[in-house]
Amino acid sequence: MDSSEQLNTTIFDDEEPIIELTSALVQKRRSQGRIIFDRFLSNRTAMIGAIFLILMLAICFLGPTITGHNNPDFLHLADGGGTFSPPSWQFPLGTDDVGRDQFARAMDGGQVSLIIGLSSMAISIVLGVVIGALAGYFGGIIDNILMRLTDVVLSVPLYLLLFVLSTVLTDHSPRSVIFLISIFGWTTMARLVRSEFIAQKEREYVMAARTIGAKNFRLMFRHILPNAAGPIIVNATLLVGNNIILESVLSFFGFGIQPPYATWGNMIAYGQGFMDTDALLVIIPGLLIFLTVLSFNLVGDGLRDALDPYMTER
Amino acid sequence: MGRYIIRRVIQAIPLLFLVSIAMFGLIHLMPGGPVGVFLNPHLSAEGRAAINARFGLNQPLPVQYVKWLLNTFQGNFGFSFVTNQSVTQVLGEHFPPTLELFSSALLLALIVAVFLGTVSGARQGSVLDYSVTTLSYFGISMPIFFLGLLAQEVFGIWLHALPVSGQSTAGIVFDPFNAAWDQLNHLILPMLILSITFIAGWSRYMRSSMVEVRKQDYIRTARAKGASTSSVLIHHALRNALIPLITVVAIDFGSIAGGAAITETVFAWPGMGQLFISSLEARDYPVLLSMLILGAVFVIIANLLADILYAIIDPRIRYS
Repeated sequence: MDSSEQLNTTIFDDEEPIIELTSALVQKRRSQGRIIFDRFLSNRTAMIGAIFLILMLAICFLGPTITGHNNPDFLHLADGGGTFSPPSWQFPLGTDDVGRDQFARAMDGGQVSLIIGLSSMAISIVLGVVIGALAGYFGGIIDNILMRLTDVVLSVPLYLLLFVLSTVLTDHSPRSVIFLISIFGWTTMARLVRSEFIAQKEREYVMAARTIGAKNFRLMFRHILPNAAGPIIVNATLLVGNNIILESVLSFFGFGIQPPYATWGNMIAYGQGFMDTDALLVIIPGLLIFLTVLSFNLVGDGLRDALDPYMTER
Repeated sequence: MGRYIIRRVIQAIPLLFLVSIAMFGLIHLMPGGPVGVFLNPHLSAEGRAAINARFGLNQPLPVQYVKWLLNTFQGNFGFSFVTNQSVTQVLGEHFPPTLELFSSALLLALIVAVFLGTVSGARQGSVLDYSVTTLSYFGISMPIFFLGLLAQEVFGIWLHALPVSGQSTAGIVFDPFNAAWDQLNHLILPMLILSITFIAGWSRYMRSSMVEVRKQDYIRTARAKGASTSSVLIHHALRNALIPLITVVAIDFGSIAGGAAITETVFAWPGMGQLFISSLEARDYPVLLSMLILGAVFVIIANLLADILYAIIDPRIRYS
């Protein structure tokens, strides 16, 4: 009774605030999103990762047009390229055994690798969030089916299952490999979303929303999902790097994308045969995979730190 | 505890059933099939039918599955379509090299990861801590096959220090001591490459677990009653910090097996990984199916072992 009176007085208090709002204090008023964003900006390693990724995307997608290295399949035998030529002004990353411009191929392959990493992440997220939310919120049959399915997927060694699935599901085109990797990745995402939903659905704010008449669908996607967004975003970022590695492993073993499409993975597989003559054919696509995946991991960890509510602002 | 183990084993049976049904279906969905993949393409329709009948592939899938299941219960895992040896014999030949690679890499990864994680967790913010963190980022982001190729280039081609393929030098008969030395030399690179990814992941995990444990009250109490820093670190902190790592290691067992398959292919190691890839290309159904299910059994056992290890390391954990 006392507290409610106090509450009333503070809410409807017309008096001047005790603390004077100095300019320093006014500046500190930021939205939650702004605080998280600022925290991310001040994380040096995560920012290096983010800048590298932006550069990588720009180079792979705009580079061919801007630099004119837009013909990855042309055999530069007559126009100064030759075979296995070392890096030069004309061919910044050299040429391969049949005189193809490695710079053009690295950008072309990068487009495919990045598209696969990003789009299979997007599909995994959509599937994982919808199914995980249904399973976590309603329980019952959907939950049972989901848990048994993920049990099966988790109990078979990952790469073995992936190789078998690739022969069943893909025709070795980028689109089919995206499909393969995303139906593979959604299960872990669904488990994560499910556990978040189970943890959140009994919280007071959900009860409060239910009390004022919010329906199940609204509760799930307007109230609970935003509160579970942190772990989902972090895992989505890490998933992209993971997907790029999965694609490269598949392509390296000949189960993934095959020529005429270039990807960083099948460029390594192709260059492997010329390791003695020109190690650059392997090292360049390998380094590109490594740096890209590293950047996604740095950004993911930076986001995790930025979203962590226990990390107080200093 | 005994009852708990029995219950867990019983729970694993339906899961194995599901895995076997899923894998059986998946394998038969693969395009081509044994007849299409490795037999004479000019074979007449009657010839194809005869071969299909010989392998029992002309029957409806559920019938084939039940037959396979009944045979499996009797310890008969079928015969390889390619070599006509029994599956037990084929797997028996390829299992020892994989076991050697797998267990040595696992042991190495565990020792190095626990050591690095403990030291960097105990010396948080030191140069060593930053180097371990940096190295673990490198290890996690590096595709294992690329690392293998780089290692072959550096240690094999540039330095001529280590053999880069196979399990032993072909064509030379050594005396027992030199043969063992030769095998060890061949093991070093694949073992290192396979363990690096897991050293990276586990040492990071171990580090954060160590940092967390060192904040606990019982650590301060142990210091207060006069235990030395190293004694507290080893007897109090390490033991408690190991608990979360066990789950991660158990979950990663499947990935190590998959990583072993990749490493074996890169280093021409004559184990199960190579067998898997070649059986997959030849559509050797009995061998493939046995390997997939063996993999699942292996992962399920690893998870059970992890739960039992919990109870041993942390006596507060009781299963009922």
